[in-house]
Amino acid sequence: MKTDDLIRALAADTAPERPLAPLMVLALVPALLVGMAGLWLVMGFRSDLWAAAFDPVAQMRWVLTGALALVSMRLGLVLARPEGRGVVRFWPLLLVALAALAVLLWAYVTTPPEARSMATYGKTQWACLVGIPLLSVLPVAAVMWALRRGATTAPALAGAVAGLIGSGGGAAVYAMHCIEDSPLFYVTWYGLAIVGVTVVASVIGARVLRW
Amino acid sequence: MDDWGQLLGQANAGDAPAYAHFLQAVSPVLRGVVRARGGALGEAGCEDVVQEVLLAIHLKRHTWDPTAPVRPWLYAIARYKVVDAFRARGRRIDLPIEDFTEVLAAAPERDPTEAADMAKMIGMLDDRSSAIVRKIGLEGASMAETGAAMRMTEGAVRVALHRALKTLASLRERHVE
Repeated sequence: MKTDDLIRALAADTAPERPLAPLMVLALVPALLVGMAGLWLVMGFRSDLWAAAFDPVAQMRWVLTGALALVSMRLGLVLARPEGRGVVRFWPLLLVALAALAVLLWAYVTTPPEARSMATYGKTQWACLVGIPLLSVLPVAAVMWALRRGATTAPALAGAVAGLIGSGGGAAVYAMHCIEDSPLFYVTWYGLAIVGVTVVASVIGARVLRW
Repeated sequence: MDDWGQLLGQANAGDAPAYAHFLQAVSPVLRGVVRARGGALGEAGCEDVVQEVLLAIHLKRHTWDPTAPVRPWLYAIARYKVVDAFRARGRRIDLPIEDFTEVLAAAPERDPTEAADMAKMIGMLDDRSSAIVRKIGLEGASMAETGAAMRMTEGAVRVALHRALKTLASLRERHVE
């Protein structure tokens, strides 16, 4: 086939494609809602959810994980563009990480030394380390699905960012169940779960985000 | 200043002639880069790679952000696909993005080389899809003519063509020799 013939066939295909940002949101929202429903059915929400939502220390979980998801979503949409690898800026992610560390440090200083260990280990670290990755599966898959419609030239990196978006969302959902309100607990274990999901998502992304 | 950007903008808004112009304008640049790097593939082999890149550009054209310059976007896709195409042929190449800005576009030819791979891929499509792609591409038939010949509505031809091109790209991914 001659290139001019191919061009003729390509030019005839004017079917428009939807932009990526709404597609990603459209995929992510149901994934989070399903996770929320699953969490509610299996583990239940914390009974004082409403009060916790207005408690500044407990609230920080949703602020931090939500900020992580939103900031990562911006990065993901840049990385979905072929030239995105060269123009993407990671400092907003660093800001979220620094904010988490600041909260952790504040909790360390304000918690009496003899209570630190208990506040850090809590009673539900395993539920957290299993629950957050489980709740991240659907959101990560949703983001990957959307990213496959993009054209990333950095599949592993885009996969990692998909992991951050999905596990940020998944952790925010898990926080509706979790009653451990000390940042010593949640920055540590949520953080560890998020890092784990991100590493796995990066490996998956390196395979499925190639085109 | 950037006529490629203007053309692609019109193309993404559904302007088929502008889109054909755009693809014709970028082809010589792609051909120049591919030939400079892959002389050993021969002319037809290079043209295979050019066509693969054009197909990729086509399927990813909506990822261009109209507020961003078009060349970095285009060269990033082309670089990714050229490296990928060479890898599929068992050759690793290092292709700095500067190559695209520095290379001389291949001289326009009246009759560019025939390439083989795409025809093979089209042969692997189902009968109706391959007939549609051939009619529009090789015979230059319009949507309406193709629809009449195939007893399909114009809309159905449109959808079938779009699917066929997507399938071509995924066939290409799997058919790595």
